[in-house]
Amino acid sequence: MNEKEMLYQKRLERYMTAMDCGKPDMVPVAFGVGEWITKYTGTTLQEIYYDLDKSNNVVSEMLPGLDFDIFKGGPALWWPPMFDAMGSKLYKFPGMGVDENSTFQFNEQEYMKADDYDEFIASPTEWLVNHYLPNISTELENPGSYRSTVALIKGAAAFAMQGGIMAAAWGKWTMENGIVGQGTGFTKAPFDTLGDALRGMKGVLLDLRRRPEKVLAACDAITPHNVNCGLAGAGADTRFPCFAPLHRGAYPFLNPKQWDTFYWPSLKATIEGMWAKGKRMLFYAEGDWTPYLEKIAELPDKSIIFQIDTTDAKKAKKILGGRFCLQGGVPTTLLTYGTPEKVKEHIKRTFDELACDGGFILDTGGVVMGDAKKENAIAMIEAARKYGIY
Amino acid sequence: MLTDALSIAIAELEEEQVAGLVKERLDSGISPLEIVNSLQQGMAEAGSRFETGEYFLGELIMCGEIMQDSMVILEPLLIGSNAEYKGSIVMGTVKGDIHDLGKNIVVMLLKGSGYNVIDLGVDVSKEKFIEAIKESNAPLVGMSVLLTGCQESMKETIEAIRAAGLNTKVLIGGNYIDDIVKDYVGADYSAQAATDGIKVADEIFSV
Repeated sequence: MNEKEMLYQKRLERYMTAMDCGKPDMVPVAFGVGEWITKYTGTTLQEIYYDLDKSNNVVSEMLPGLDFDIFKGGPALWWPPMFDAMGSKLYKFPGMGVDENSTFQFNEQEYMKADDYDEFIASPTEWLVNHYLPNISTELENPGSYRSTVALIKGAAAFAMQGGIMAAAWGKWTMENGIVGQGTGFTKAPFDTLGDALRGMKGVLLDLRRRPEKVLAACDAITPHNVNCGLAGAGADTRFPCFAPLHRGAYPFLNPKQWDTFYWPSLKATIEGMWAKGKRMLFYAEGDWTPYLEKIAELPDKSIIFQIDTTDAKKAKKILGGRFCLQGGVPTTLLTYGTPEKVKEHIKRTFDELACDGGFILDTGGVVMGDAKKENAIAMIEAARKYGIY
Repeated sequence: MLTDALSIAIAELEEEQVAGLVKERLDSGISPLEIVNSLQQGMAEAGSRFETGEYFLGELIMCGEIMQDSMVILEPLLIGSNAEYKGSIVMGTVKGDIHDLGKNIVVMLLKGSGYNVIDLGVDVSKEKFIEAIKESNAPLVGMSVLLTGCQESMKETIEAIRAAGLNTKVLIGGNYIDDIVKDYVGADYSAQAATDGIKVADEIFSV
C-alpha cells in the first residue's frame, strides 16, 4: 500500500467506526469545497456550474494539504446543460434566470395539479413520463414528437456524460488525496417528493386539509420508489449512506399530528426498507427538527446518520446519541460571520458537548454557500485535528 | 375571545363555512368593510395561535388562502368605501434569491392586519426597492432572504436605501437570519417567526 492508500484506509476506518457509533482515534471531519471558492479563483459561478473541467480543477488544486476525512464534493451540485437540453423549468442557474454569481435555485410550482392525484397514485412512473416531464420541460411538451425525442436523448446523454466526468474526478481525488466520499445514492422523504417536486409547498399544505386521504395514498405509492432510488442509485454499495435532503418535516411547517400522520410513516418505511438491505440514510435534517427527535429515535439502531442543522444539538445528543451517529456541529453562518479564532473556540466546545463518547462526525450544519470565508473553512479543519484526538 | 361567527370560522380554518357566511352577509346588505373586519379579527386570532404554538405554518397558509379567496369577492366591492389602511409597507425577496414562501406568509398576515402591502416579488433589485419606497413613502420595508449567499445583496440594498437619504425602517427575515446578520447588513429589525412582522409593524405605525 502506498502512503495515500494507507491514509485512505485510516480515514475510512474513522468514518466507519463513527457511523457505527464507536470511538475512532480522532473525530472524523467532513468537508466540501463550496461556492465560496469562486471568490478566490477569479471565476464566476456560471463558469463553475457550466464548465465541469474548470470546476473540478478548482477542487483538485484546493485539496492537497488539507487534512480531513470525508469529502462532500465540489461547488456545483448540478450540471445545467442536462436541464437546458430539455428546456427544464425546474431550476434557475447562475447566469440563466439569475445573476451569474447567484446560486442555482429551484422554481417551485404546482407541476402536479390536485386533479392528478388518482392517476399519479395508480402508476407514479407512468404519470411522471406522460404528464410531469411535459409539464416541467418546454422541449418535452409533445411526447413522442421529433423535438421531444431528440431532447430526451440529449438530456440522457448529458446525464451520462456528467456521471462519467464526475466519476473520473472523484477517482482522482480519492487516489491523490486519500479522502473518502461521504455517500452513495440519493433519496427523499415521500412527503417531500410530493411537496417539493410535484404539488409544491402551498399545494401540499392545503391538500392536508382538502384531500388528506390522497396525500397519504400518494406517499404510500412513492415509498417503494424512494427505497429503490436509494438502493439502485448506489449500485450494490451498502458501506456508505445514501444522501436524503429532508425539508417539510422541519419545524414549524406541519403540526405534530400532521407530522405523525403524513410526514413520518412513509419516511420511516423508506428508511426501514433500505435498512433491511443494509443501506443507511444520511438523514440530512435541514432546519430545526427538535420537536420530532423522540419519534426519530424509534428507528432501528444505526439506520441513519442524523445531520444537525439548526436542531438543538444537545437535545439531539441526549435523545439520539449512542444509537445513531450525529453529524454537524458548525453553524453555516459561523463560516461567514465568524473569524478563525471564533471557529476554533466553537469547535473545541462542540467536541466537549457532542463528540465525547464517539458516534460523531464534525461538519457544517447545512449547505455552505458563496458567503463563507475560506480562512474560516480552513480553520474548521485545523481546529478539528487539534482538538479532535480521543 | 371571538364572538363573531365569521371570525370564528376563519380562525378555525372552516373554508366552506367562511365562503357561505361571506355570501350570506353580502346578500343581507352588511357592508363589505364590516365583513373584512370580521375576517381580519379571525386572522389575528390564527396569528396568535401560531405564536402560542397551537398553529403551525400549515394552518397559517390555509388561513391566508381562505382570506385570499374571500378578498377576491370583497375587494372590488370595497372601492369607494372608507376603507383605511393602517399604513404602507414595501416587501420583497432580495436580489439573487427567488424564495417567496416566507415572504408570502408575512405579506398575507400584514394585509390581514389592515396594512397596505406593496409586494415587489422575488429577486428584487435595490433600485426597485428604492423606487417603491419613494413612491409609497412607506415608513417600513421588509426584506426576505433564504440563501445565506444572498445576505450580501441584502446589505447592498440597505446601504443603497441609506445612501438615497431614505430613513425607512428595515425589517429582515429568513431561515438563517439572526442578530449577527441583522447587524452585518445594517437592518433595524430582524424577524424569527412569521408573526414577528406584525409586531414590528404595529410598533412602528402606532407611533
